[in-house]
Amino acid sequence: MANLPIATTQGLPALNVTTPEQIPEAGLDLEADVVVIGSGAAGAVTAFELARSGARVVVLEAGPHIPSSEFQEHTPTAFETLYQDHGNQLNTTGDLAILQGKCVGGSTVVNAAACFRAPNQVLAHWAEVHGLENLSAEALGPYFERVERNLSVHQNEPHEVNYNGRLLIEGAKKLGIPASPVSRNIRNCALTGHCLAGCKTDRKQSMLVTYLPWASEQGATILSGTRAETFEVSGRRVTAVRAIATDAAGTQKPVQVHAGLVVVAAGAVQTPLLFQRNKIGNSSGHVGLNFACHPSLAVFGEHENDIYAWVGATLSAQAGDIENPLRGGYLLEAGMVDPVSTSAGIDGGVGSDFVEFMENSKKFQAAITLIHDHNVGRVYLDGDRKRIEYDLDDRDFESMREALRGTARIYFAAGARRVYLPTTRKTTIESADQIDSVVNSLQNGKHRYRITSYHPQGTMRMGADATKSVVGPNGLCHDLDNVYVPDASLFPSSLLVNPQITVYTMASYISDQILARA
Amino acid sequence: MRTKLYRRTFHKLTLLTGASVLVLPACSDDAVTASNGVTLTSDERNLLERFAEVFLPTDGTSLKPRSEVPVVDNIEHAFTLMDAPTLDQVRIGLKLFDYGSVLIGLHFARFVNLSAERRLAYIKRWEQGIEMQRGISTLLKKLVCYGYWKDIEAGRAIGYQGPVSDAGGIARLGNAPMPRATNG
Repeated sequence: MANLPIATTQGLPALNVTTPEQIPEAGLDLEADVVVIGSGAAGAVTAFELARSGARVVVLEAGPHIPSSEFQEHTPTAFETLYQDHGNQLNTTGDLAILQGKCVGGSTVVNAAACFRAPNQVLAHWAEVHGLENLSAEALGPYFERVERNLSVHQNEPHEVNYNGRLLIEGAKKLGIPASPVSRNIRNCALTGHCLAGCKTDRKQSMLVTYLPWASEQGATILSGTRAETFEVSGRRVTAVRAIATDAAGTQKPVQVHAGLVVVAAGAVQTPLLFQRNKIGNSSGHVGLNFACHPSLAVFGEHENDIYAWVGATLSAQAGDIENPLRGGYLLEAGMVDPVSTSAGIDGGVGSDFVEFMENSKKFQAAITLIHDHNVGRVYLDGDRKRIEYDLDDRDFESMREALRGTARIYFAAGARRVYLPTTRKTTIESADQIDSVVNSLQNGKHRYRITSYHPQGTMRMGADATKSVVGPNGLCHDLDNVYVPDASLFPSSLLVNPQITVYTMASYISDQILARA
Repeated sequence: MRTKLYRRTFHKLTLLTGASVLVLPACSDDAVTASNGVTLTSDERNLLERFAEVFLPTDGTSLKPRSEVPVVDNIEHAFTLMDAPTLDQVRIGLKLFDYGSVLIGLHFARFVNLSAERRLAYIKRWEQGIEMQRGISTLLKKLVCYGYWKDIEAGRAIGYQGPVSDAGGIARLGNAPMPRATNG
């Protein structure tokens, strides 16, 4: 049953992907109206919206096509096969893991399905500081509604909120902190807890089962394992994209796509690298700058009874003041993944301490913290090697400490007997009255915390002023007449909340801008 | 002199002192290929075994016996996913940890030759040390955790369910139907 070709047997849209093995050794030379680089949140939406308007679309995806039937619900295997750098993409310091999907469907395949609209305060800031009055909550409202409808976004129903989520809500409400079930893009969730390893049963409405098969149905050509390398440039136009398809045997095959329009949607790390490698679009000097990433910490609260936080929806509930990201608001999301991630997220000590920590992990209440960080990082090439320069800013460290205090208070209010903090050596808080003293003693510094980013953004800043930004308000690069960027790299500042819905929305909006200009 | 060299070498290691979820730092651009076919040296195997012995002592606990989990083989597999420059740096890091006891003069033997009690104390000292020591000790912990907890049965021993869909006969829904043609 697991391997039934469901799409063809039930009349659903089929996803047709050309793999490198199917490409002749001499390579491919394709003509298209639009070439889209990247098949994640932005690339998939743009490909579909343009293809359904009649454009001939070619999508180039560097990662492999792994059908959901091949997902193994085993996080380490997923890291190795579905994630950028096999799950090991780090900042230059080496103390921040930056997770991104690298597969057909991109990060949408491996995210936790949490859905938030960009906070109004952030959109207002973009208008005021970056001249993006066109992106008001009112103007984007219909686009948000469109993608939410298309992706079955809904707030978790009571049965989708596990014990861990209920504890977060219960603890937060005792303290007067806003809390509720999370909204997710999911249909009939099977509650397997394996979102981050890819949804084997197609419940999560990732690009792999939505916009990409829809684009395919509309005639889009999708190539996997095909990495865009160079642009052919004529004046202010990119006239062709050259790529390399690499098959399982390591044979490299040239792929060239001539197109009137180029959409670069490779994400906040790869998109600026592509521009830098080709030395285009950077008269502002801002390509690769302004990197932000929502540095995230795991926090565990040990209870007397078993919680099994990894059972059920990966993310079930949220707490925090998400409407005030610019005033120190933080977001907590209840969730826990697997033993590898549990032991990676928190230092449980060494020897018998560590063994006890892992034996007790079923008793852990678990959540991650998200903050609205400043755009202090940059992405650049050092020879052939990418570098992601990002160290926690002191201002953001204060937000992080506030998030830790809030999490600990909620945990103790929910009945925890001990709280574990995400430092690089075991740090616990044994009672609520210790929270301030322990958290206040934490210092900012390299290799002091176990930090993960799930949301890289901001390296191709959008703005009205061409001297301070790379991309204009309609998604078109300031320096180029036919190159658009619709991915998270264009966010002028970080969102605080999970960005996928805002990326889908921006890609829908920019697609309309492209069509209006055509 | 010895201290100077030590610090300079450590400084060069800032890239490698892993904190990633999976453990290993690999920040190559995609063009750089993975180190297929790499094998751990006997020194590296010995270090990882000795570290795991004291970091994750499973005897007499409810955990799956470490001897029944191919911890070091799993780490070796992870090494094959790294590009060559990163792998080189990681290997230097492992060596520094092993010989650090000699270099910084706290002990007159390599880490692998210390007693279990002194190895444990050594790890605790490094996790509170300077930036590089914190990074390298974290790298080693994560390597061992990855190598051990990658084993599905090791997870089940602490109550983690592992894969569920096939065993539970959960049906796949397939691709979503085409959306209604509506504008934004």
